[in-house]
Amino acid sequence: MNFGPVQQAIATSLSSWGFGAAAEPAALLILLLIPFGVAFSISGVAQYFERKVSAIVSRRYGPSTAGGEGVLRLVVNLAFFYLPAASRQSIEKTVANLPGVKQLLHFVRYFGLGQIVADGLKMFLKEDIVPRDADRFLFRGATYMVMLASFVALAALPISQNFYLTDFSVAAIYTTSVTGLVVVGLLIAGWGSNNKWSLLGGVRAVAQIVSYEIPVALCIAAVAMWCGTLSFQGMIAAQYQPGIFSFLGWNLFQSPFFFILSFVYFTAGMAECNRTPFDMAESESELVAGYGTEYSGLRWGLFFISEYTDMILVGGIYAALFLGGYQSPFFEEHIVALPPVWEALAHGAIFSIKFLAAIGVMMWLRWTLPRFRIDQVMRLAWVRLIPLSLICLFLLAASMLWFGQNGQVASVVYGRFVSSPVVRPEAWQTLSVWGATLAACVGLVVLAKKYGEPKPMPENVRKALVGGEG
Amino acid sequence: MSHANLEQNDDLITLNMGPHHPSTHGVLRLVIQTDGEIVRTCKPEIGYLHRSIEKIGENLEWYQFVPYTDRVDYVCSMNSNLAYALGVEALLNKKPETAVEIPLRAECIRVLFAELNRISSHLVSVGAAAMDMGAYTPFLHGVTQREFINDILEKTCGARLTYNYICIGGVMRDLHEGAEAEIKAFLDQLEPAMHSFNALISTNTIFRARFAGVGVIDREKAIAYGMVGPNLRGAGVDWDLRRDRPYGLYPKLKFEVPVGKAYAGSKGVLGDCYDRYIVRLLEIVESIKLCRQVLDMLPPPSEKADDPIGGYRVDVTKKLRTPPKGGVYTRVENPRGETGYYIVSDGTKMPYRMKIRTGSFTAMTIFETLVPGMMVSDVVAFIGSLDIVLPEVDR
Repeated sequence: MNFGPVQQAIATSLSSWGFGAAAEPAALLILLLIPFGVAFSISGVAQYFERKVSAIVSRRYGPSTAGGEGVLRLVVNLAFFYLPAASRQSIEKTVANLPGVKQLLHFVRYFGLGQIVADGLKMFLKEDIVPRDADRFLFRGATYMVMLASFVALAALPISQNFYLTDFSVAAIYTTSVTGLVVVGLLIAGWGSNNKWSLLGGVRAVAQIVSYEIPVALCIAAVAMWCGTLSFQGMIAAQYQPGIFSFLGWNLFQSPFFFILSFVYFTAGMAECNRTPFDMAESESELVAGYGTEYSGLRWGLFFISEYTDMILVGGIYAALFLGGYQSPFFEEHIVALPPVWEALAHGAIFSIKFLAAIGVMMWLRWTLPRFRIDQVMRLAWVRLIPLSLICLFLLAASMLWFGQNGQVASVVYGRFVSSPVVRPEAWQTLSVWGATLAACVGLVVLAKKYGEPKPMPENVRKALVGGEG
Repeated sequence: MSHANLEQNDDLITLNMGPHHPSTHGVLRLVIQTDGEIVRTCKPEIGYLHRSIEKIGENLEWYQFVPYTDRVDYVCSMNSNLAYALGVEALLNKKPETAVEIPLRAECIRVLFAELNRISSHLVSVGAAAMDMGAYTPFLHGVTQREFINDILEKTCGARLTYNYICIGGVMRDLHEGAEAEIKAFLDQLEPAMHSFNALISTNTIFRARFAGVGVIDREKAIAYGMVGPNLRGAGVDWDLRRDRPYGLYPKLKFEVPVGKAYAGSKGVLGDCYDRYIVRLLEIVESIKLCRQVLDMLPPPSEKADDPIGGYRVDVTKKLRTPPKGGVYTRVENPRGETGYYIVSDGTKMPYRMKIRTGSFTAMTIFETLVPGMMVSDVVAFIGSLDIVLPEVDR
């Protein structure tokens, strides 16, 4: 296993302080704290953005004006608990009117940042209830299982060329298999709660997540076939394109089949995160709260954080597979050539933008779409996504045979892709595959319009409902 | 207990759906037995919200009962008020010396507010149906529009939910100043808002797939089980009291009665959840038309409250002390279907017998027949499409 230059740097400094043989594992532990920190903080931020997105989509204000006055009041009351209420109030007033504090409170209220603090506090302070007849071991263990599965997978996330936790030759398989363990956690949460709604939610989660592992694996197989490697750093290296328009090297634009597969991966990834329209396991209007019905307080919050961590993972892997990972869409060759620290910062920022955009799309869809039924979810996986990704996989293989491309970048040493030999098909070959696929799609659409499902409703009814523009 | 009566089968899970469940629209309890996701038996348990409003009605004077009619169906209390007021007026009209002539302006206001209340009730219904399907945003768009209606009604009646406005002999008070312009402005912005609502959810593929072919109440079943209102019309039965047994101002108004036509496309069946849902949306369109017509024919207010044209209320307190003897049954078209008031008078200042027939109550009877065979998610869709309101079921 390679643990990247940063881990080695930490290990060297630790051993110089006298850690000796423990330096390497200690450095690894320190590194592992980083994704925890990232995931926890991003969960807070993501929750804030989720509220904002929902408020925008629903055209309402939302809790966007929650201020910091409550926190201030709490702090003052705790600090001056021995004073009478009136003097505590006057202290609070004085503090709130201090020059810096006044502007800060105004800022917090304007952006509604108090909500994050309030939510976090609420989660920590709530009672952790374990139902009397629940299987206590499983009930508590489920939380850790779900957390473990999500966080361990973060280790392989390719954040930048010089700074990442680890990268190894089967990183892509590792992440999918480890995130698959979430399902075990959800099932034991459903079973251990001793609640029928929880059990139904757990069973649904198993059926759904196991089914959607298959299209995800097929997408990764396609990218691995094209790039000749299963390591994320290698995949990203294979998408490197010198020149101004670096984005032309991204897999998304390399082949039309990747374009289709990117949608397949995003859909299947959303289903693995249990997000609406695929929130079968939770579906609060049907199963009360599904597997989480009996959980409260921080224990429920950990499920919540795990869900957001899964979203980060799906967004990050989506970026690595199809959007060139941490690479910039323009002038990538200059960013790669930066000194390691600056390179890590720039690439880290670009990578964050990419996965945050993916999370944003997931939130947008969540607040727009209704939920599927469980049989529709299963049908979507087995009848639509899996055949579609199989067809794309085979056509991609056929086009690679034609190009004479067979995984030349497999020999890339991690991260050092500037000098690696990247063999690409000719431009006319790529364009002709794109053209053929587009023509086939247009043909399918024409056939579907002629022989497919008729218009859903009479034209006059449709006009009465949605107006003239249809 | 009811589930002791159900057949014991070890392969089935008995699930108590409610009375505290997010999408049973109140305190409805469904005892369902499921085989995995498939429901095998279903038994609705009602009565958690019983307040014996009918019995209370027999112990109150005629006009004191009007606020209780608000509580029968609080989502459309204006319509409930109207049903009771029409019932008592029909009773008074049995004898010429106690007959009541409602001023034209009062009739107009009654229909106008009844239709506005119908719009707001349907907005809640379709929004809640969408929310049961997991889409939160349409519900908020719906209640945003309902909020405007509540504001308008609040300015006139002083209440936002239980209006206590339509009374025996007219309405409580005249329209507030500038009401007509406000209602016109509201209707003008409601139409594009409904178009965007429908583009967001009603024509959504997932939503249609969830509702198409689910909970099919065909024509025969709808009539046999006494379905009323949009649930009946969704099954393709062309029956609307406002047109077929008109009351109040409705004979003078032009409107269409939307009927279900398997709107969900190739997978849709006549009388499925989607048809009932679309019928409600089309009724909103018709109600907008009705409101516009009423606003056009609204006579100007006059100085006298009981003026036959411009007045808003005639005094009936004396007549109500000695009403005619006998029974009377009136029905009006509520958002949730026919609401009937059977009132028996023994000539005293209180009713001798009061019976309320509501649409949601009869809709409950079909659960036992139709729900077995559905999936658990479909039960939620079915409840949402029937648009039941629990206080109306239990009274």
